[in-house]
Amino acid sequence: MKSSRAKSFGGNEKRLEQLTAWLMAGPAIFGLLVFIGLPFCLAVIFSLTTLKLDSPLPVEFCGFEQFYRVFADQGFRQALVNNTIFAAVIVPLQTTAALALALLLNRPLRGMIIFRTIFFMPVIFPMALIAIVFELIFAPGPNGLLNSFLLFLSNGYWQPLDFLHNPHTALAAIITLSIWQGVGFQMIIMLAGLQAIPAALYEAAAMDGADRWQRFVHITLPQMRNTIIFVALVTTILAFRLFDQVWILTQGGPNRATTTVMFETVRAIFKRQDVARGAAMSVLFFMIVLTVTILQRWLAKEKREID
Amino acid sequence: MKRWMFFTVGVVLGWGVLVGCEAEKPLESTKTTIDVWFHTGQPAEKTVIEDQVRRFNRSQDRIYINLTLIPEGDYNTQVQAAATDNKMPDLLDLDGPYLYNYAWKGHLLPLDNLVSPRLMAELLPSILAQGTYRGRLYSIGTFDSGLGLFGNGKKLRAVSARLPTSPEEAWSIAEFNQILSDLGQIDEDGMVLDLRMDYRGEWYSYAFSPALQSGGGDLINRRDYQSSGGILNGPAAKAVLGHFQSWFKNKYIDVNTDANSFTGNRVALSWCGHWEYPRYKEALGDDLLVLPLPDFGRGAKTGMGSWSWAITSKCRNPELAMEFLEFLLEPAEVIAMANANGAVPATRTAIGLSPLYRPGAPLHLFARQLEQNAIPRPRTPAYPIITSVFQQVFQDIRYGADITGTLDRAVKIIDQDIRDNHGYPDLDRADQDRAVR
Repeated sequence: MKSSRAKSFGGNEKRLEQLTAWLMAGPAIFGLLVFIGLPFCLAVIFSLTTLKLDSPLPVEFCGFEQFYRVFADQGFRQALVNNTIFAAVIVPLQTTAALALALLLNRPLRGMIIFRTIFFMPVIFPMALIAIVFELIFAPGPNGLLNSFLLFLSNGYWQPLDFLHNPHTALAAIITLSIWQGVGFQMIIMLAGLQAIPAALYEAAAMDGADRWQRFVHITLPQMRNTIIFVALVTTILAFRLFDQVWILTQGGPNRATTTVMFETVRAIFKRQDVARGAAMSVLFFMIVLTVTILQRWLAKEKREID
Repeated sequence: MKRWMFFTVGVVLGWGVLVGCEAEKPLESTKTTIDVWFHTGQPAEKTVIEDQVRRFNRSQDRIYINLTLIPEGDYNTQVQAAATDNKMPDLLDLDGPYLYNYAWKGHLLPLDNLVSPRLMAELLPSILAQGTYRGRLYSIGTFDSGLGLFGNGKKLRAVSARLPTSPEEAWSIAEFNQILSDLGQIDEDGMVLDLRMDYRGEWYSYAFSPALQSGGGDLINRRDYQSSGGILNGPAAKAVLGHFQSWFKNKYIDVNTDANSFTGNRVALSWCGHWEYPRYKEALGDDLLVLPLPDFGRGAKTGMGSWSWAITSKCRNPELAMEFLEFLLEPAEVIAMANANGAVPATRTAIGLSPLYRPGAPLHLFARQLEQNAIPRPRTPAYPIITSVFQQVFQDIRYGADITGTLDRAVKIIDQDIRDNHGYPDLDRADQDRAVR
């Protein structure tokens, strides 16, 4: 991206510019501090105490006790594993799918807006609604939507599964519905990225005799690199926040196969009234997501230098 | 185009606001408003409570009952959040055993001095037992619950099962296992028992902790409510949960995602509560049997307790809230609700009048169980943790988790919570008032 550097005017004007900048950024910075900075600081403080939800007992300071407990908790460890699997599957898959869809929908075709709307629609549906729809799709027994479809495809050989309550399929089921729901959002960003690529590049390439594949590899991909990195980053963060589907469909089960860090946190606070434990989980969770994000940024930057 | 859209949105929103205000109108200034929360489970219950509120509001000119309905699934979470936020209503219904936690925290007013002696004498002992915490009455239900096995007579007779009619005659666990295996052999898909796995949350503790007690275990040591050690992970509890796990392993359990396994004739037995009686009766007619739960070794046990009303310490006019509660406990009103949800009426007069529960009536077994072998869930402020842990335990065991490890872990969590809360000590009144603020 090209940035036009501000030329140095007189000192007065510069100060005025700075003032304007702060004024413009002010509301956002204020919002960040109040709604993200402050709660996070509180979470750090809470995690070092015995704070319970609405308890009449006095709050005590207990050092890192909550963190020891969280680490010793099998549920939390399994949640971390599940989140990692979920992110590891969903980030490449959803990013690729979004790019593919965007390419497909980036053609000057009549009625394209309708297709785009259709693919984007799941994003604006509330997750609760989607979860219920998928509960019907994944219904067990030969009459379940997916089961009966597979029975039809396999000519009756398929053994009907209870997808959401089978430890081997539950997470996969959650992943499937999450991709279906989320891919439209990434697709729109990719689409915007595609449309920002100058048509001249393609024309030049065509004149040089590059075929479709070559144009994709040598023009589209390099031009889309920032968009793809951004999409992958956002998807990772969203993947770690996995909660709604799990809460509605599986409650973390069967046998913790679909539990997630967010789910464990909410349960600690609202079912077990243990605010301190929930706070400790959120703090750990924040560290993990931050690390992953920084790592991802760093890896992406490295590549750019090689380029 | 854009301006037109803004206009439309504006009109729609404005209309919504106007209509919203319209709905609030009947609030007359001379009346004192009592905010009431009620859970919505079955549609019939909702209809009755709405009707009762409407009639009560019309019948007098001092009290206006402002009813809010909240879905059952997350009801307790909502109440908990409201309590934390000091936004409790004046009067609300609570799912039985959560009461003790709210009472301990000082969110509820004792009702002892508000209830008329006439009503006190009328209430079933199980209602008083369930509503009492450390010697004071905090809640009154207008109905109690009945838990048992609903049987499909045709299917049970096909395997010539003995049909018990009282808790003393309950099937022994060996007999019950035999019946399941016999039924499984003649059943189309082998799934013969419905444990209402489609339910969530409190159901698991309500329905399956009596089995623990019947085998000699429990959720917590009730002597002092300080530990679950050796009780929830004792040999008796392990044996009982072992039976449940074997039923899942043998595929006797219909997981019942559509809630129709019993009414759709897919299973012979449904481990369920009174509330399904109307629907089951309609589906099976004279083939429907009401049976006690199996005896896991120390006599058949069953659950008790249901939703019950409590007045919050936020309430400025407890006498007025009580007036509405007394109205709900009039025999005709108790019967109206009990007829709608099939529950055991909470007062003696109402039971005598009930076509379902009076002696000789089809659900008399449930009324009898409440006097005989029903056990209240642990009356301790630790209950929310205990039940959340047990729900997880049951889910884990359903999917084949190692029972000993699962129960040991459960005991650790429960005991740690009790220790964290210093054993949930009794707080004196002044402390409680401060806690409530």
